Amino acid sequence: MRELIHVSDQGILVYFLALNSFYAVLMILSIPEIWEQTRLADDDDFQRIMQSDALPPITLLVPAYNESATVVASVTALLTLEYRNFEVIVVNDGSRDDTLDRLRAAFDLFEAPRTYPETIPTRPLRALYRSRARTRLLVVDKENGGKADSLNAAINASRFPLVIAVDADTLIEPDAMLRLTRPFLLGRHIAAVGGTVRVANSCTVEHGRVTDARVPRRFLPGVQVVEYLRAFLFGRLGWNRLGGNLIISGAFGLFRKDYLLAIGGYRTESVVEDMDVVVRLHRHLLRHRIPYEMPFIPDPVAWTEVPEVGRFLARQRERWHRGLLSAMWQYKGMLFNPRYGRVGLIGVPFYTFGEALAPLVEVLGYVITVVGFALGIVNVQFALLFVLVAWGYGMLLSIWAVVLEEVSFRRYGRVGDLARLLLFATLENFGYRQRTVWWRLKAFLTVWQQRQVWGEMTRKGFEAAKGQTGRRVDG
Amino acid sequence: MTGRHFLTVVALVQGVLLAALIVLIILNRWFRLRRRAQVHPRVIQLNDAMQRWALGTADVASVLLRLARLPVPLAVDALVMWSVRVPGDRWRKLATALRYHWWARLVRANSDSARWWQRLQTARFLAVAATPEDTPRVLRLLRDPHPAVHIAAVATLERVESAALTTVALERLPRLAATVSAYYAGMLRRSRPLVVQLLLKMLRRTDDPALPRLVEFAARLNEPALRERLTALTGHPDPEVRVQAARAIGSFPHTDSIAALTRLAADPAWPVRAQAVRSLGMIADPATLPLVRDALHDPEWWVRLRAGLALTRFGAPGRKLLLEAEVGGAAGPRDMARLVLGLSTQALAEYAA
Repeated sequence: MRELIHVSDQGILVYFLALNSFYAVLMILSIPEIWEQTRLADDDDFQRIMQSDALPPITLLVPAYNESATVVASVTALLTLEYRNFEVIVVNDGSRDDTLDRLRAAFDLFEAPRTYPETIPTRPLRALYRSRARTRLLVVDKENGGKADSLNAAINASRFPLVIAVDADTLIEPDAMLRLTRPFLLGRHIAAVGGTVRVANSCTVEHGRVTDARVPRRFLPGVQVVEYLRAFLFGRLGWNRLGGNLIISGAFGLFRKDYLLAIGGYRTESVVEDMDVVVRLHRHLLRHRIPYEMPFIPDPVAWTEVPEVGRFLARQRERWHRGLLSAMWQYKGMLFNPRYGRVGLIGVPFYTFGEALAPLVEVLGYVITVVGFALGIVNVQFALLFVLVAWGYGMLLSIWAVVLEEVSFRRYGRVGDLARLLLFATLENFGYRQRTVWWRLKAFLTVWQQRQVWGEMTRKGFEAAKGQTGRRVDG
Repeated sequence: MTGRHFLTVVALVQGVLLAALIVLIILNRWFRLRRRAQVHPRVIQLNDAMQRWALGTADVASVLLRLARLPVPLAVDALVMWSVRVPGDRWRKLATALRYHWWARLVRANSDSARWWQRLQTARFLAVAATPEDTPRVLRLLRDPHPAVHIAAVATLERVESAALTTVALERLPRLAATVSAYYAGMLRRSRPLVVQLLLKMLRRTDDPALPRLVEFAARLNEPALRERLTALTGHPDPEVRVQAARAIGSFPHTDSIAALTRLAADPAWPVRAQAVRSLGMIADPATLPLVRDALHDPEWWVRLRAGLALTRFGAPGRKLLLEAEVGGAAGPRDMARLVLGLSTQALAEYAA
């Protein structure tokens, strides 16, 4: 027993060192990336060229299911984005509420014939609507088939070579589309581009735009601000230098349509369609030796509302982790496979061992420590020191993300917001992190039971319904 | 060293790093505030000096003095901003004065820097303050591997007339990404006579894969001297070239253009037909009205749409044909006529754009 605990201890220590060393590498790699990106983002000439009339035309794909409360405001905000040539395709995915009626009334929709082939098979379409008031808008009404199916229907209907998948409840900054096209201007072989998703809770929202960014006072949404900063500002920036990201957020990401069509669009069986599609894109492009990049750029920003209640957050995290597990299992052939280059040798192994299996290892560590205490074979001082180092490292990474935010984009200008960011970065490791481990652990159980149930989330909505021009989400 | 010692060292290092990061955040904020407090008054002073100089109540030396007091990026920003406000002749005087100023020499020297952002700064500076003597330097920057640098450098064409610069930019234009190419096109339009001469030669290279982009650029110039050559390209085997040529000759209400467009309206490729019908609408010759009406029966929805929109440009006769189609027996023209007649003015303008 002692031997077993000893060996497990050593194994966990090695895992801890390897994983955290890798995080350190990501942290270091994020420095030159943010340096370059902020310089390009500030370049006035680039702003000027991005407003020229030859920007690549883009289709915004907006799946909507029971979005009656917010759909008109969201679509209006999307239609007024700063971009010359784009169209918005809203897919009403068999909503049970009056989503379609609201769209019809607000945008003077009329039924139009379908004039494109069904390149990717989807659930049957009911009708296609164009708008007399806004020629950029196309509404596809179809039977319910889930988000991936809706995105596929929108891809079929899109006219343009680039598509951006957007959640109907996501607030996109007016110049975010312009900024997202920046890698194309740099003449690179772009397959997809990811932008930053930030937390909208507590921010002031006016006419579908975040006008004042704030860090929530409440713990759960506040700590998620730090999590999002960490995930986007150094995690994904670091991956830019390691062969590209395996995740481009489903709430805001740009793709080349011909590549999406080549892989058959989004997979409807997938729990997290955004990760699934990116991994398949990597696989397809690497298999066919097509030169490509999938960069993340930090300055195009979309804002999303995150769960404020533990129950909903638990479901979200469980689903995310379930999706990660199934994706890693699905594409296990890429693991350590030199045919897939850095993606197969670094990306997939990291997401498999460093992300997917991390909750198991962490819990194993806690169990062994407790058993070791009970048997008196674990040195108390050593165990406490180890936990201290682990937590300290977590804090270091979170605060590093805050540093990157401070030296680059500085969306949170008030001292109070900065203080809250630092506070949440510190407190995150005491209780919250353990809860997320538990939620992610539950995903293993769900996968084991082969359940694929989508969690539901009650959204508060961004703007007040009483005719005010703006308000804070958390009141 | 035991494991405990190792962890103690790691914990200590972490503690120091955490403290350092927090100090860094605080210092960063403090430094920015302090810098803003220091620089902001200097920016105001520069703007004030620029304004007085632009009005002729101050000499150029006061502007140069204040420019040198600012950090280089801010000074270049200010120059870029003021370059569009000050009349050309007066601005040239400032550019000439900057030629010999020590501060400007430092900025110019960065054109050979290994760091792209420093070369970018030089390119931005030269875009507004270059003199003919800077041509070799700008040529180097135009050939810079970093897109941000050569994009900034091409803006020099707005102020410096140089055959060498124009030739390099025009040769580069069709091989650039679409958006960058369009930006180059905007800059090249300033050197119109020279560009037209060069284009007449380049449009004869019919096997050049870059031809569609060149024709697209030529179309934007609306230059009558190019009409004949562009009309000849409507018979090119590449449909993309034909689309661009059809677009280009839509700006020339000439019998040759109408004859070519009439032929293209029956092209096997639907994008060519759609563009031909659109261009016929732009010319709006009443003799082509029956042809445009017939395009309402095209099997391709987009051609029908372009035909419907083109009919609105023929005035009352076109509208009458749309109204007839709206109550006609054929489903395709009827649906399209309903759609077009139901469009708001804003929607029509959006389609026309």
